[in-house]
Amino acid sequence: MNSIIERKEVSEKIKDIKDADILVGIPSYNNARTIGHVVRAVQAGFAKYFPDKKCVLVNSDGGSTDGTMDIVQNASIEDFQSILLHHRVRPALKITTPYHGIPGKGSAFRTIFQIADALNVRSCAVVDSDLRSITPEWIELLIKPVMEGGFDYVAPLYHRHKYDGTITNSIVYPITRALYGKRIRQPIGGDFGFSGELARFYLTKDVWQTDVARYGIDIWMTTTAIANNFKVCQTFLGAKIHDPKDPAADLSEMLFQVVGATFDLIETYPAVWKEIKNSETVTTYGFRYAVGLEPVSVNVDKMIDRFKLGVKELKGIWAEFLPPHILDFLKESEEAQKGHFCIPNDIWVDIIYAFVIASHRKILNKEHLLKSMTPLYIGRTASFVLETWNSDAEEVERKIEDLCIAFENKKDFLIEKWQEV
Amino acid sequence: MKNLFARLLSEPLEGFLERFIQFLPNLISAIFLLIIGLIVGWITKKTLYRLLRLLKADEFSERYGINNILIKGGIKDGVSLIVGRFAGWLVFFIFIIISLSSLNVPAIERLLERFFLYLPNLFVAIIILLIGYLMSNFFSRAALIASVNAGIRASGLIGRLVKVTIFLISSTMALEQLGIGRDTIVIAFAILLGGFVFALSIAFGLGARDLAKEYLEKKIKGEDNDYIKHI
Repeated sequence: MNSIIERKEVSEKIKDIKDADILVGIPSYNNARTIGHVVRAVQAGFAKYFPDKKCVLVNSDGGSTDGTMDIVQNASIEDFQSILLHHRVRPALKITTPYHGIPGKGSAFRTIFQIADALNVRSCAVVDSDLRSITPEWIELLIKPVMEGGFDYVAPLYHRHKYDGTITNSIVYPITRALYGKRIRQPIGGDFGFSGELARFYLTKDVWQTDVARYGIDIWMTTTAIANNFKVCQTFLGAKIHDPKDPAADLSEMLFQVVGATFDLIETYPAVWKEIKNSETVTTYGFRYAVGLEPVSVNVDKMIDRFKLGVKELKGIWAEFLPPHILDFLKESEEAQKGHFCIPNDIWVDIIYAFVIASHRKILNKEHLLKSMTPLYIGRTASFVLETWNSDAEEVERKIEDLCIAFENKKDFLIEKWQEV
Repeated sequence: MKNLFARLLSEPLEGFLERFIQFLPNLISAIFLLIIGLIVGWITKKTLYRLLRLLKADEFSERYGINNILIKGGIKDGVSLIVGRFAGWLVFFIFIIISLSSLNVPAIERLLERFFLYLPNLFVAIIILLIGYLMSNFFSRAALIASVNAGIRASGLIGRLVKVTIFLISSTMALEQLGIGRDTIVIAFAILLGGFVFALSIAFGLGARDLAKEYLEKKIKGEDNDYIKHI
């Protein structure tokens, strides 16, 4: 069965609904604790901001065993007056279905796209099921740029703690910006708005057996939208506070999936990114305000230890593709004390571009190559933490801007090396 | 005395010389064939390599993932070079067989006959060793990277152990295929592996009991989440 639409209960539900204006999808897996709040926020968003539109909520579940799907079915707002609604509120239309395919967020999104296509919706949004900070305004902010602004893709913009979102800050944002020329600050934010047309376009791509089916979906959606000239913007949603991630989740596995999907997209769109010279800001919606953020704990000593262990044991593997000056730098860093430990922007950019080229040349098995990056990433994060220990949010943002400029300045070097292959 | 000398030394020597003179053309032709084999093998290698490069065999193998399999096993040469080398050595090997046959020595002929009957076993053993080599490189690198990412100090040792273990397993299988010390090898291997696992269990259960407890507690309770693990 290739399409979820072929499932009897889903096809019957779609026949009943026939078509819709707006669809909001919530992927889930054992999120009974938080999904009720997310569903109520979405329903309130529908009622408050789109009272005259036909709205559908889709829950695409990965086989939860904690009653997540029952909570979605039963969650509703008891008192609409509490959110200052006095007009007649239509009952919310809901579809809850387990998805099939490789277990992961990407497969859940595929099901949401298929239902959006079947209902011929105009605007869609997807929001994470573990969100604690979602409000009804998020639905307006993600949907209205598509409905009224003519945009095809709405990326989120959040306030995050300076040590939160480090893969985004040190790898994914700078690469996306330098290569595709759009300053989308949270390309893998997780909560997006998009047009029905873009959802149908996503479905034409044969990527559902790759890392895109898992953590790679976010960067794939963003890059596919930019590289295929869909109109993109971003919208400020406030703070992103979610349930703590599974502590057993493997950092190297996550890094492999996210960075692997990013590198695959570089491989897919060389004709696009080679032609782009500079980056530009994108339209930003939403009223920006300062928010209180949850603290993020870090253990710099342990991170530096992991980096040094990686250099000691993996430098033989890296020697196959890292330039000599980087190898010399890493050998020197092995001896550096905490006070002097630093991986500067230029070195970090050279490391990432060398990994891009090594992946392009297929020098190593891709999984080995990307997982071997983990100690370097931990080292760079430790260096960033030390550098920004006393910095406020603005100063941290300036430092990320400097890193992005370093990525943009060295792009010609990447193009040159890419063409040598 | 003279007769005795002729019977003891001169006659055997003359006989040997006679047989050697009869054998000499065969020996010369065998050496000649070996030299020819060396040259033809070298030409075959070079020609096939260039022909395959011309036919873009390397690009083809890359497209169909053959290069990936070789890279995973730690072999960095292209398919055209590997096939060229193999063909060159095969041609040289065939010439060695022809040159040995041209000696017309019954003992060598019997040996060759037995060798030909044994050849399929040798071929299978080589394939087993080759696969073992590829697998040992792949898994040792995977184990090294995984243990570094898990923060294990003895990562290098783990990687080397995995490599040696896989290579030992494949060598045991290859030797068994060749029929060399079949029972001895299997028993020795079982004793070694069993002893190793037993030693590890004792070391982990007694020597590192507290470490194991601490590790499992951290894993189950998630207490090890004190450095950045989020996107």
